[in-house]
Amino acid sequence: MLRRHVILLSSIAALSLCAPGLALAATPKDQLVVAMDTSSLRGLDPNEINQLEAAEIVANLYERLIVLPADNISKPQPGIAESWTVSPDGKTFTFKIRSGVKFHSGNPLTAKDVEWSLRRLVKLGLAPSTDLRQWGFTADNVEKLIRATDGSTVVVETPEVWNSNLILYSLASFSTSILDSKFLADKDKGGDMGREFLQTADAGSGPYTLRTWRVNELIIADAFKDYWQGEPKMRRVLLRHIPESSAQRLQIDAGDADVATRLSSTDLGALETGGKVTIQKTPGFGFYYLALNQKDEILSKPKVREAFRYLIDYDGLAGTVMKYYGIKQQTIVPAGLPGAIDKNPYKLDIEKAKQLLTEAGYPNGFSKVYYATPVTPEYEVAQSLQANAAKAGIKLDLQGGDHIGKFRNRQFEIFSARSGDRLPDPHAVLQSYATNANNTDEAKLVGLNAWRTAWDVPKEIQQMVTAAAHETDQSKRVGLYTKINEAYLASSPALVTSFLRTDAKAVRNEVKGYIGHSTWLTRWDTVNKGN
Amino acid sequence: MSQTTETRRAGSRKLLSAGRKLATSLAVIATTLLGLLIITFVVGRMIPADPVIAVVGDQADQSTYDRVYKEMGLDRPIYVQFGSYLADIVRLDFGQSHVTKNQVASDLARVFPATLELATLATIIGAGFGVPLGILSAVRKGTWVDHVARIVGLLGHSTPIFWIGTTVILIFYANFGVIPAGGRIDIYNEGLVEGPTNSLIVDSLLAGEWDVFWSALHHVIAPALILGYAAMAYLSRMSRSFMLEQLRQEYILTARAKGLGTRPIIWRHAFRNIRVQLLTVVALAYCGLLDGTVLIETVFSWPGLGQYLTSALFFADMNAVLGSVLLIGIISIAINLLSDIVYRFIDPRTR
Repeated sequence: MLRRHVILLSSIAALSLCAPGLALAATPKDQLVVAMDTSSLRGLDPNEINQLEAAEIVANLYERLIVLPADNISKPQPGIAESWTVSPDGKTFTFKIRSGVKFHSGNPLTAKDVEWSLRRLVKLGLAPSTDLRQWGFTADNVEKLIRATDGSTVVVETPEVWNSNLILYSLASFSTSILDSKFLADKDKGGDMGREFLQTADAGSGPYTLRTWRVNELIIADAFKDYWQGEPKMRRVLLRHIPESSAQRLQIDAGDADVATRLSSTDLGALETGGKVTIQKTPGFGFYYLALNQKDEILSKPKVREAFRYLIDYDGLAGTVMKYYGIKQQTIVPAGLPGAIDKNPYKLDIEKAKQLLTEAGYPNGFSKVYYATPVTPEYEVAQSLQANAAKAGIKLDLQGGDHIGKFRNRQFEIFSARSGDRLPDPHAVLQSYATNANNTDEAKLVGLNAWRTAWDVPKEIQQMVTAAAHETDQSKRVGLYTKINEAYLASSPALVTSFLRTDAKAVRNEVKGYIGHSTWLTRWDTVNKGN
Repeated sequence: MSQTTETRRAGSRKLLSAGRKLATSLAVIATTLLGLLIITFVVGRMIPADPVIAVVGDQADQSTYDRVYKEMGLDRPIYVQFGSYLADIVRLDFGQSHVTKNQVASDLARVFPATLELATLATIIGAGFGVPLGILSAVRKGTWVDHVARIVGLLGHSTPIFWIGTTVILIFYANFGVIPAGGRIDIYNEGLVEGPTNSLIVDSLLAGEWDVFWSALHHVIAPALILGYAAMAYLSRMSRSFMLEQLRQEYILTARAKGLGTRPIIWRHAFRNIRVQLLTVVALAYCGLLDGTVLIETVFSWPGLGQYLTSALFFADMNAVLGSVLLIGIISIAINLLSDIVYRFIDPRTR
């Protein structure tokens, strides 16, 4: 009896393992499979999300007035807006809306939809609304300042004069996606302007429509047949939730996935040598930073801050854990943007750090609690700093975990993480790292890393940042940013930058046209698999 | 006093005691679940993740943060929050998940069948192999069969399950390509079968979709075998020791002395006496599998309760955490009750 059971069970097992027709096939030619970690994805409302994976999806379900091409991100191109003009005083932007664009519902896209969508972003006031709110738009003035003047013209007036690129770049962000206002009219729940509905559905005009979303499992998007630029080549795009780097690596290697987006440096390295896959390193507009709380007596000493700059192993990390995740950069304007300078004066130097500590009055060092996010590569960077600091006499009690809440509330001693900005302009980074209008606890400027660090940024730096944002002359701006950059480097900042963020993706060689986008708007309609 | 009154009284006494018993067990169940919720609620508050930031994002300004903080009811004292949560639960409303934006109940209805499918298969495999193996090794105690069985069991017991999982994927997926890498189904069969049970194997059978059925079976077999192996290790150890204990009893010696063959002694006598114990450990193993599949679910990208609960914990999504914990609690109690009923049925002494 026993024997019979064993035989029966093992034959069932063997049968299912070798069941015919189940041999693994590469992904079909007309479907794109992307391996992602979607665990932090919540909702797909363009006016609510604030995260890389969600942005890529929204970028393909919806469209925006302006397009920033992946290969030339600082050159605004027509999108839903066929053309635009900026008034001589730099405050009024007039957009001519393209005709013949259809939403997924079949409704035509009109100037009214643009007006409604931009107003909605500001009125909802959720995280991505910063994209417009930072230029002075508020729920009270947006009705007056953003308006459709006829069926195909939209006027956007800014409360102050800003460099026009800042406004145009903002109108290319996923948050300023154009929504189908007519379709959403009856989806309103308690004045939420369709927010609840849009968590799991789309109301866009983009090349893809959302077909299925199963949280932490799968997202399927179908090509939109009536897309105004023609039906995309990939009939379907499937995003699979695969949180493990090693699992992503195996699947892209075997051809079950075409793109893998969350791989460790080790796995990326192994795939790169394998030859079936190309590794894309997309530069981002954020930094790996070390924040030293200036409310702390010891850490507020400029020489102590300076000492930390000598405790980071820039070159050692650059070749290992940061190989795919960052580019060494000690200045504050991201490489490639106006005002960037190629200057990295610091290197790992324990003796120099010791000397600075002695000069600051701490020859025997000190100990501090150090919060770091336990994800690769941030934690490896933190561990490396901890080891070097120990050699200089600084004992860092490294604590992993999610401490961003404490950072926001200034309740920390040392903290490190990485930032990510979406505006291809130095202003985005500088605003957060180099302005702090009011350094009191009550001011609660929690959006600014400088405030969180309680760093009273030198006034001349702050003034220059503000002036540069308002400057309309492009060459003057470049000059200003260069100056800011130098001044920031010289100020021994409380926010130490070590690496410029890059986002790495592995793409199989047969997949063409999947191009990582610095502001997270990677397109799927440009993808083909050699057909 | 007539006999009928006597009988009636006895009858009502019986009914009363049965009623009391039922009331007691219901009270015990309710207290257990309440305790479970309180502990989870308190622990959830100590997680160093900020649920508001998880919703609004790191860069949100203070006014947005404050608004959502209020919306989520976090400004109220913790006991008020807990009280209102309990009141909702009584109305069978488990609240909304901040992460998925769905009702927790509907999320659970989707993820739990995936885990149930995996755990049930693993239990069948574990018990199907483990119990006979344990009995065999008890009967052949000291022989090579016993040694082999014990080594196999020991390995299953002491090897980390995620390590086995990764190794299996590496060998059978990456090298031989005979198993899929993860997920519940081939991507191309996605969406062909939906509902009613959310168990793809059952649903595809009901719908007569054979491709989907094979694909689902093909996907479940590796994780189920690995989990089943771990369960087998435990169950074979337990059944071995149960059986050894029986074999030392005098009635077995008597039976042997009477000239009864080994098979009837083992199956008709000894096995009958360990059925109840076996049922208990199988039920325990099943409960363990239902909430212990986190690692294997991660390795095999299996969208089940384990993954759901982990990500809920990571983002301090308390409604989802509490809902999942409550579900695990209820299922554990239900399995225990069920095994209770079954052994009353098979063992007259416990009636």
